[in-house]
Parts: sequence; structure tokens; C-alpha cells
Amino acid sequence: MFKKVFLLLFLQLIIVSFNAQETNAVLLSKKTTYTVHENIKLEFNIKNDTLIKLYCTNSYGSILLKPTILKDKISFDIPKFLSKKRGILYWKTINFKETISGKISISSQQQPRTLETYIGPPSIDAGGLDYTMLVVIPTDSLDNPILDNSNVDVKYQFLKSERKVPIKTKNLIAYRNIYSPRKSGRMIVSSESYGLNSKEFDVNIMPAIATNFKIYYHRNHDYADGNQITTFYTSIIKDKNKNIVSDGSYIEFYITNKKGGILKASGTTINGVAHTKIIHPDFEESWKVQAFFIGISQSNVINLTYKKVIEDFNTQFFDNNREIKIGPLTSFMDQLIPDGLAVKLFIYKENKIVGELFKESNQGYASFYLNPNIYENGSYRMVVETAGIKKEYNNIKLW
Amino acid sequence: MVSTNKKILRVALMLTYTFIIFILLFLLSSLYTYFNTGADRSAMLHTEVKKVDQYLPKVDWKENGNEGREISDQKVAEILNDYLDSWYVKQASFLSNTRLGIDDYFTKNARKNIFNIIDYNKENNISIESTTLKHNLDLEFFSEDGQLIVLKDNDVVEYKKTLKNNEIIMETSEISDYKAVLLLEDGFWRIRHLVKEATKDFDKTTTAAQFDFTTLKGINYYPQATPWDMYGDQFDINIIKNDFKIIKDAKLNSIRIFVPYADFGKANVKEDKLQKLQLVLDAALEVDLKVVVTLFDFYGNYNVLDWTLNHRHAEKIVDRFKDHKAIIAWDVKNEPNLDFDSRGKANVIAWLEFMIITIKEIDKNHPITIGWSNVESATILKDQLDIISFHYYEDIADLDQQYLTLKTKIKDKPIVLQEFGLSSYGGFWRPFASSEKKQAEYYKEIQKVLTKNSISFMSWTLYDFDVVPKEVLGRLPWRTNPQKKFGFINNKGEKKLSYKYISN
Repeated sequence: MFKKVFLLLFLQLIIVSFNAQETNAVLLSKKTTYTVHENIKLEFNIKNDTLIKLYCTNSYGSILLKPTILKDKISFDIPKFLSKKRGILYWKTINFKETISGKISISSQQQPRTLETYIGPPSIDAGGLDYTMLVVIPTDSLDNPILDNSNVDVKYQFLKSERKVPIKTKNLIAYRNIYSPRKSGRMIVSSESYGLNSKEFDVNIMPAIATNFKIYYHRNHDYADGNQITTFYTSIIKDKNKNIVSDGSYIEFYITNKKGGILKASGTTINGVAHTKIIHPDFEESWKVQAFFIGISQSNVINLTYKKVIEDFNTQFFDNNREIKIGPLTSFMDQLIPDGLAVKLFIYKENKIVGELFKESNQGYASFYLNPNIYENGSYRMVVETAGIKKEYNNIKLW
Repeated sequence: MVSTNKKILRVALMLTYTFIIFILLFLLSSLYTYFNTGADRSAMLHTEVKKVDQYLPKVDWKENGNEGREISDQKVAEILNDYLDSWYVKQASFLSNTRLGIDDYFTKNARKNIFNIIDYNKENNISIESTTLKHNLDLEFFSEDGQLIVLKDNDVVEYKKTLKNNEIIMETSEISDYKAVLLLEDGFWRIRHLVKEATKDFDKTTTAAQFDFTTLKGINYYPQATPWDMYGDQFDINIIKNDFKIIKDAKLNSIRIFVPYADFGKANVKEDKLQKLQLVLDAALEVDLKVVVTLFDFYGNYNVLDWTLNHRHAEKIVDRFKDHKAIIAWDVKNEPNLDFDSRGKANVIAWLEFMIITIKEIDKNHPITIGWSNVESATILKDQLDIISFHYYEDIADLDQQYLTLKTKIKDKPIVLQEFGLSSYGGFWRPFASSEKKQAEYYKEIQKVLTKNSISFMSWTLYDFDVVPKEVLGRLPWRTNPQKKFGFINNKGEKKLSYKYISN
């Protein structure tokens, strides 16, 4: 009987001592929230055991730690390069009888050290529709994005207005859309968080797209003399907020003539006005002109007419009719027409065109010579055309 | 006489001369050819894109809009590519403790954090072998100028193996939430800030699938002409259909087939191969044969950085056939325990465990098994598997006992003898090896054991083969030749003596 009791007691003792060994690894450090600048130390009350290690993982990677052995406990110092990063630090013991694991939440500091600021796009249209975006990542002294819901002020100046808008950080960043003012110019933007200021950024506010405009013309006289120049120009082209479009905007002038043909001339704007020049036609003509800021806006249509300058002209035949002299060609005041008026001679034989000759007038005259090697003796029909007037001569005999 | 000699001399001289000229010309021309070889002009600029799939974790991109600028699909693809690459280079760096590639995927400030860890681990001889299996990405913010994003990555499943002095210290799998700020620099989306917001141990429990089949009486199947190359160019569904009829007529009710990993296209499973597999399964369904599909045949890497590719392979196949009526079970891998020595037991088991999780996530209905090569290994992962399969090529007298011992260890799960058999290879030069008679005797005996315990079985194999690819057992004839004679039907299509005992 006594033996039995003794045996039972002995057994119990063994069981108790086993239990004591089983449960002796206890985490002594109870703190689970830290900020990035604090040192983190994990202590366990476990006897010296060199095999013991701690696995540690943070946002960027994982390591294994060796313990520091004290009298009746061991401790692990989490290295600075892990403890200084914001996020969850997860740890697990290795070679303990029971794996103990835990999470430490490391928060960043409130006070930022740097304001990483990004702004874009760098130029926007005036008028309040277009906007640029300012993104700020305030980071603390250990390069962590500061706490969520922190204050950031966005400051911007344009002409006489200066504004300051408070925003909050969210998802590690803070951002603000800055809409363009009505006027074009340059806007200065910066940000501030807890007394720390960013550097200055500037945003170009470009004029918005142009509105429709008017065109005008200027000419010395309205005669179709093929010599003078007509100038077309636009009104000051502006966007809807009266900002003058950027210099160098390309304006195309489309001229539709009597026959429906199109002539083009172009110019670029200076101070919102584009000029272009075109020489007068040399025959009676009427033009419809419209200018386009291609794909953006257009002008009104203006009409111009050019009056005939030559009513009639003489044609003389010399030297076996082989020399043909046309003139005098006289202009609106009976003055000789300026040199360079186009004169054309068409030569037909039996209703087939055999030659087409071209000369420019010189001192009011144009003369042609029909080479006998080309134009054999015979009867020809000739048509002279100049300044939009055609004259026909039948049965001209060459010999 | 003299003139004849002279003539001979002259001819000889001329011939020598021609010969020397010929040799010289040959040398010069080969020199000329040599200097004209080299890079093809078109290849000089290296404009071709060589992209190899390295890392394909399962990624889910949540399309719920974002703050800031609207994002295009093109941009999403670029971000995904760079973000996943950043994980890949990080894992590669932690494995080798080198800084290679980190610069491309982390900004100047962010990479310091990684370098610190690499330096510490290098100094302490620690390396971390890791991979991520799943990412659930949600774009929170995209800046107006297109240069900055904030990305939320929830429930990232990470598997890590920590090695010290090249010995595995611990394995862990975690599921974590991350938030990342990425900047577009030099055409790369680089991580500027990465914050782990939550983490916990990954829950590996899976739900068991029911195996509602009383007794499998089956056979491992390869066509006679194309063993170990069932889905190659010589694929002929009519031969297979005919074989299935033979199997059905032999009163068997199931087959086991193999899906080779590389042949099916690794991570990018080839559609034509899937169609061939579909034909095979349809053919089995036609004659009411149940099919055990063994995946990852001829695969033996198990490397952690290879996992995501393996998972995409399994995902594609399992997802395609999860509702196929012919399939009765998925066999993850044939005899993985044979790779324990060369690839590390822990490696292989972790690979299998996560593969089971992956397959179960897609197909919750079909049971999963692993074809262990012996009875001793059959208890590995027994809690994760729905059917326990083992192969038996040892002494037939011990089978009864071995099976009963296994049954005491595995009480609540069906057990399948998934491979067994005897080669009839022998001859006058190896009188004691084997013969058709001995093979028949073997099957007769083993069927007694199987019937007595009503064990589900799948024998090896239907046909004698003419060729055994070197990848199976190497080139040595004394190893490959016996392998050719395991069939119940010989290579001429005649039934061997053992055919009588093909089923019970």
C-alpha cells in the first residue's frame, strides 16, 4: 500500500516537472506598438539555449536573430534596419518547445522630415476645366510615409490671389487637383506639413483653345493687275476667357476663286494676329476667303472682287506673219502695264493644237517669233490670251 | 626509256603542283569563310524580345476604379509586370544574398532597406528561399501625370524557407496585406514605399473531397507504341479507344494516366495537348472507365522559385477538366518520394502541400492523391490527401501484412494500391530472372491478397513496350529491358499468360 502511494507520488512529481519544462517559455515583453525611432527588444524567460533563434519579417524582408543571453532569460534586439520601417513586424521563435509568434505594429513619426512632391502636368489650359495634380508624400526622418490622416497644406499663388488649402494624407500620400484660373500666366505651387515646407513649383497656365475670329483685308487698289499685293489679317484671336492665343499659332487662309479652285496662304500669330499676303490676280476675279485655326476655330467669310485692267489689246503680224507683237498693254489709267503680265499664244493647225507659247510682257509689249523649222509654211489659227481676254485669228498664213 | 622517266617526273611534278595549289586555295578559302562568319546582320541589334516566364503567381486585379487619373489596360499590364518582377528580383536576391536587379525595381531610398537585410543575412550565412503564390491587387491612386501610383496588395500568400549555413531552419507561410507607392522612373515602375499593414500565418487547411467509389480495379495505361509519350505526334485516339475497350472487357473499371509537365507546355499549357487529353477522357467516359489523372510527370525541380509556374500548369489543367465525368481523382505527382534525396524531403513535401491547396481551390469535388512509391512513404501528408496511394514492387508475401499495418495508420481514408506488377523479362541467359509463367503466377497470387482485403488496385501495365525513353530509367539495357515486359499483352497484341489474372 505504502509502496503504491509512493509510486504514485513519484509519478506525479515526474509529470509536474515535465509540465514545468513545457511551459517555461514565456514572452516577457508585452508591448506590441512602437514608433519607428524606438528600439525593440523581445525577452523570454527561457534558460540558455544556443539553438534558439528568432525569425523576424517586416515589409521588405526576413532575417534570423541570435539571442542575447542573460541570467535566466534571453532577449532579442530587433535590428534598427527592421524596426525603423513602418508596418507590421512579425516574429516567430525557432527551436522553442512551442513556437511562439507575435506581431508588433510599428508606426511612423508624425513630424515629416522631407516632403516628396510631384506635380504634373506642368502646363494646363486656362479656364477652370483643366487641372494639374500635386502629390505629396511626407516622409519622416527614417524615410517612412508619415501617419495616415496627417495635415498637409497646399499653397498656390496666381496673379493677385494666394490660396492655402488643407488636405489629409491617405494611402501613404496626399494629393490635390489644382484647377486652372481664367487667365493665362504662371502659377506658383508649394506645400507645407507640420511646419515643413516644400520647394516651389510652377505651372504654366496656357490660353485655352481659341474661339472664332474675324478676318480683314487690305489692298492698294481693286484692279487685277497681277502686281500689287493684298494682305489678309485676323482679328486678335482669343480663347473664351479673353486670353490671347500663344504666339506662333498657325492660321490658314483658304481662298476660293470664281471657278471653285482653292488657293492657300498661311501665317502665324503675333499677339493674337496672323498676317498673310497674296499677289493680285491678273484677270478679273472674285474671291471668297475664310481662315481656319485648324481643328479649333474659324473666321467669317469675306468676298473680294478684282476689276479688269485691260479692256482690249492689239495684235500685229510681221515677217511673213512669223513675228507676232502684242500690245501696247495698258492698265486702268492707260499707263503701260507693269512688266511680267502673262501672255499666251496658242497655235492650231486643222483644229489640232500644235504649239503653246508663253511670254511675260516687257515695257507693255509681248512678242513671239514662230520658228520656220518648227512651224512649217501653211495656214494656222492663232489664239492670244492675256489678262483673261482671248482673241482669235483665223487663217494666218506662214510662208 | 629516259623520256618515259622524264614524262613520269613531269606528270608527278605537275600533280604535286596542282595538289599544293589546291591545298593553298582550300586554306585561303576557309580563312575567307571564317572571317565572313559570325553574327547575322539582322541579329546585330539584339532587337528580338526574349521573355521567359519566371514568376507567375495568381494575380487578381480588382477593377473598382481608383482616385486620380483613369488607367488604361496597357498601363495596368505594365504595372503588373513590374510589380511582380520586383517581388521576383527581391526573392532571388534574398536567396543568393546578391543585389542583382534590385536597382531596377526599387527606388534609391527603398533599395537601402533591402540591401540592409541582404548584408545582415550574408554576414550571418542566412538565406531566404521564398515565393508568393497569390496577389490581390487593387489600384488606389494614379496620379494625373501618370508617374505615381498607390497599390494595395491584399492577402498575399508568401511561402518562405529560412536557411542557415544551407540547412533549413524553418518553413513558414504567411498571408499579408501590403500597400505600395510606385514611381515611374526610367520606364520602370519602381517601389518607393512598401508597408505591410497586416499579416498572419497562412491557414493551410483544406476541405476533404468525397471518394464515392467502392473498389477500383484498374490499370496504369500507356498506348503500346507510345509509352511515356501519349500526347505526342503519334497520338491516335482510335488506338486509345480500342485499348479502353480491351480494358473494359477485362472487367476493369478504371485507368491511371499521366500528364507530362514539359510536354504540356509547363506554365503555358498548350491547347492542342489539352484537346488530346479531352479526347482521352471522353473516350474513357464512353466506355465508363474512371480515370486517375497523374500530373507533373517528368517534373523534378521543386525549386521554390519554380512554384508559381507549376501552379499555373496545374490550374489550367484542373480548371479545364474539373467537371469531367470520367475523372475520379487527381494524382499530384508520381513517386515524389524518390526525389527526397536529390531535392530535399522538406522541399518536396512543401511543394506537394501547396500544390494540393492550389488544386483544391479550383476543384473542390475530386479527391486528391499522391502516388507514393512504397508503403513506408504512404503516411506522408495523409491528412491533406483524400485517397492514400502506394506502389508495391516488393515481395508479394509481405503485401498482406504491409497493407494491414498501413490500414491501422490510416483509418478513415481509402487506400489504393496504385502500381504493382512483375516483368516477364527473362531468357536462357537469365534463367532465374522471370518469365511469362512467373508473371502469371505473381498476378494469381497477388489477386488473392487483393480479393481477400478488397483492396483497390491499379496494375502496371497493359502492354509490353518496344521502347522505354531514356528519361524514365536511363539508357542501361539491363534496366530498360525488364521495363519493356511488364504488360498483360505483348508487343504483338497477344495476351500473355498473366492476362487471365488481370482482374479479380
